[in-house]
Amino acid sequence: MSLKPPGTFWTSALKQLWLPVLCVAVLLVATAGSTSFYFPPATDVLATLWRELAHDGLVDDLLFSLRNIVAGLAAATVVGVGAGLVIGETKLLRQATAPLLDFARATPTVAFVPVIILTLGIGSGPKIFLIALGSVWPILLNTISGVHGINPAVHESARSYRIPLRLRLTKVVLPGALPQIFAGIRVALSIAVVLMVVSEIYGSPIGLGNFILQSGSSFAVPETWAGTVLIGILGYGLSVLLLVAEYALLGWYHQRPPRTRRTKPTPSRNEVAS
Amino acid sequence: MAISTTGRRPAPGRARPLRRARPGGPGRRGLLLLQLSAVVAVLVLWAAGAAAGFVSSTALPGPAAVARAFPELLGSGTYWQAVGDTLNGAVTGCVLAVVIGVPLGLVTGTYAAAEQSSRLLVDVLRSFPVIALLPVFLLVQGSTPAMKTTVVLLACVFPVFLQAQYGARSVTPMIAETVHGYRIPKLLRFRRVILPSATPSIMTGLRLAATTSVLVAIGVEVLTTLPGIGHEVVGAQQGGASAQAYAYILTAGAIGYAINLLSQTAERRLLRWRPPTHTE
Repeated sequence: MSLKPPGTFWTSALKQLWLPVLCVAVLLVATAGSTSFYFPPATDVLATLWRELAHDGLVDDLLFSLRNIVAGLAAATVVGVGAGLVIGETKLLRQATAPLLDFARATPTVAFVPVIILTLGIGSGPKIFLIALGSVWPILLNTISGVHGINPAVHESARSYRIPLRLRLTKVVLPGALPQIFAGIRVALSIAVVLMVVSEIYGSPIGLGNFILQSGSSFAVPETWAGTVLIGILGYGLSVLLLVAEYALLGWYHQRPPRTRRTKPTPSRNEVAS
Repeated sequence: MAISTTGRRPAPGRARPLRRARPGGPGRRGLLLLQLSAVVAVLVLWAAGAAAGFVSSTALPGPAAVARAFPELLGSGTYWQAVGDTLNGAVTGCVLAVVIGVPLGLVTGTYAAAEQSSRLLVDVLRSFPVIALLPVFLLVQGSTPAMKTTVVLLACVFPVFLQAQYGARSVTPMIAETVHGYRIPKLLRFRRVILPSATPSIMTGLRLAATTSVLVAIGVEVLTTLPGIGHEVVGAQQGGASAQAYAYILTAGAIGYAINLLSQTAERRLLRWRPPTHTE
């Protein structure tokens, strides 16, 4: 992540890559001649993954899951950031809703899966709703604490210059809270992936979750592993995309030393530091 | 108000806190009242929504129906059995995750080479949704409590590991060099320098892991036949007793909330000695 002079690029790449490469190599060698039922050769798994993607319907499953995640996360972001800005700006509202929001976040959304799917059906809508319901809390709470964490002097000068509310929100408050909002979206993404998988395993005729469930219960082990690997790739790919978006939007933030803030932006109460 | 100001001239130093306290500081009791009224407002909204019937009463029973479900459940053995089963899986997995994650995180956080080599691998593994491994675990381990513990362990180990690593890295270079210069033995260094300075960060990891553990345990129960809160929610909803299902969901929320409060208190207690702030 850190910017380094170009000469050290290869050494740093080597330092970071040797262990993953070694692990993959060990995995390939260890399972190469594997006759174990549960752990088929890794090459078999990859071949199955390729075959399913290229010829069978796995692409449809992938697209279905991807669409649900993106839609759910987008809805959660819109609602979470919007409500977070309002609650973060209004002290009374912030104080009044604090325990409620903590409780809402502590309630495991996976418990809602049977309730919502059994009553609303197995289509795409309930799944998007579930994903949005689960991932809105980290975004909302991080937005609130991001707005709250902006240096009061910034707030006060914006106010004393009588900058209109809309302009103040879009030009002062939102950018100030953006680093922490992104931290919230990162947490939300991992929740969204989990909810995607659970909602599809629980009740769905299509989707990656359904694929691994079906192949698992029919003892098609290479297919199960292939689906699992694909979900992993999806999760990692989305988080990398999110990071790219963050760097594009927050270049100004990452390139200079942290400003004076009341709270540290990264390790908030919702975020893993890194 | 006029009387009080004529009686005593407000000292300039005292005027400020007074002015500050008025707009937003309703005081401790006022704050509690405010929060209570927010809770009541949400309950009223919930009742109105359920009564208006946007969704069927099986999807969203009213708060009164859910409240009525509680006394019956609290008296029954299955309720406590389910709570116990869920907590058992969650706590065992979480403790194992701490036992494995903290030492590994401290070591990789202390030695830059270890951190660099493991970075990509950890990055890929931690963004992996553990619940997706469920079909695989069902194949290999079967539907057993041990399987639940394994899944919880895998989900919790990364937050703990990463926070421990981050904490170990937060030892200031000056202290690290001093320790190095005095040739303080490695074990002593870990125990007396790195561990204490990583504790705040580790506590954050613990809090994250504790919340995750309950979430994952319930997720596993929803999807398998393993007993626990998640299983009871499925059973109640399938049996048409959605008020009961909501009672279990609220129980899960209460557990999560309690864990959060407990760990916050523990954090405050444990870290009373903490020096003012970490350097960025």
